Amino acid sequence: MARWGMVIDLDRCTACQACVVACQVENNVAPPSAEQATRGRAISWLRLVPFKESEHGTRPGLRLVPLPCMQCDRPPCTKVCPVQATQIDKEGLVAQVYPRCIGCRYCTTACPYTVRHFNWERPEWPEPMAEGLNPDVSVRPRGVVEKCTFCHHRLQRAKDKAAAESRPLREGDYVPACVETCPAGAMVFGDLDDPRSAVVRLSESPRAFRLLEELGTRPKVIYLSKGEWGGTV
Amino acid sequence: MGIQASLRREHRLAVAGFATAFVLAGGATTAALTLGGRNAFFRPAVHQPISFNHRKHVTELDIGCTTCHLTVETEAFSGLPDADLCAGCHLEPQGKSEEEKKLVEMLKKGTALAWKPLFRQPAHVFYSHRRHVIAAKLQCRVCHGAIADTIAPPVRVRRLVMDDCVSCHRRERVSTDCTVCHR
Repeated sequence: MARWGMVIDLDRCTACQACVVACQVENNVAPPSAEQATRGRAISWLRLVPFKESEHGTRPGLRLVPLPCMQCDRPPCTKVCPVQATQIDKEGLVAQVYPRCIGCRYCTTACPYTVRHFNWERPEWPEPMAEGLNPDVSVRPRGVVEKCTFCHHRLQRAKDKAAAESRPLREGDYVPACVETCPAGAMVFGDLDDPRSAVVRLSESPRAFRLLEELGTRPKVIYLSKGEWGGTV
Repeated sequence: MGIQASLRREHRLAVAGFATAFVLAGGATTAALTLGGRNAFFRPAVHQPISFNHRKHVTELDIGCTTCHLTVETEAFSGLPDADLCAGCHLEPQGKSEEEKKLVEMLKKGTALAWKPLFRQPAHVFYSHRRHVIAAKLQCRVCHGAIADTIAPPVRVRRLVMDDCVSCHRRERVSTDCTVCHR
């Protein structure tokens, strides 16, 4: 069974935010109203978070880091959910079942990466955008928590197609929207349990590191970076 | 009048009041349900443009489900036939039924056939007909019941709930992970 993971090469990333836009469109994430945004209630499954680089580094200044859900192997969010609305499945995807969510927001608090978002309002799209929603992704109602799913609806489609052609799932059959979009080729997606996959090869690079590794969450999003952040400190 | 007698009298009045209200409410409900000379209990749950006879087509004429539900084996959705498909056989009447006459007229006029789906799938659920019919070799009747044996749109549509999916997945040892169906 696969264990899906993502590698993000920060040395290749140009911070163009194409992944952010692709994610919003793919997953029917509504643009926030000005009021919602000022209250810090804007929903974004994938954000570019500014981190200050060390002043002693070779490239001082800000670095923008794409931050999707880390899809932890030991997710703190699933442990606190009182209704099992969020669970980690056998392929390592941390899923959210919206109709089961009671909106208690324990999970948003438990997540150290702050990638879980609560729907404070009913989502609303400007007129032409409302016509273009992705039918493969359900629109979340008010009062539930949502987050990056690694576009698992694409896995459902890919599995369906593979089963119809009676063949196993191949590498590249299932790729999230952000990875597919990245023009710099900074994002790679695949099976972390398959020794031949590109993600495994990259994750063994000396540049590889994970965010807040010391918490023991075992994230399946692996970053690559030279210098003080990377593995070559 | 002593206090006991007074209480008893009040109780009797209350019971009588409830009984009257009950009878009146019941009468009103019955009247509402039989409005227009038809009883709502025996009306089909979904109104179709033509009262389609599944038994005639499937059992008597031995036409397979995929003849009209075109995408059962190729897509996630099963597909409902459009007017062109019906016109393949029914441009001229094939039998003597009144409903067919209605259909032939509609086809001549070029009215679109707006079939309404009998089974509604919630937006947060992914279900693929192709996968279940081709890979799992599931028979249509497992979920859709005896629809092939009905002579008119069913009065009561079989209600499919998550338990139907999960119990079958458990029995067949298929994954019951949330991500397999929910989206």
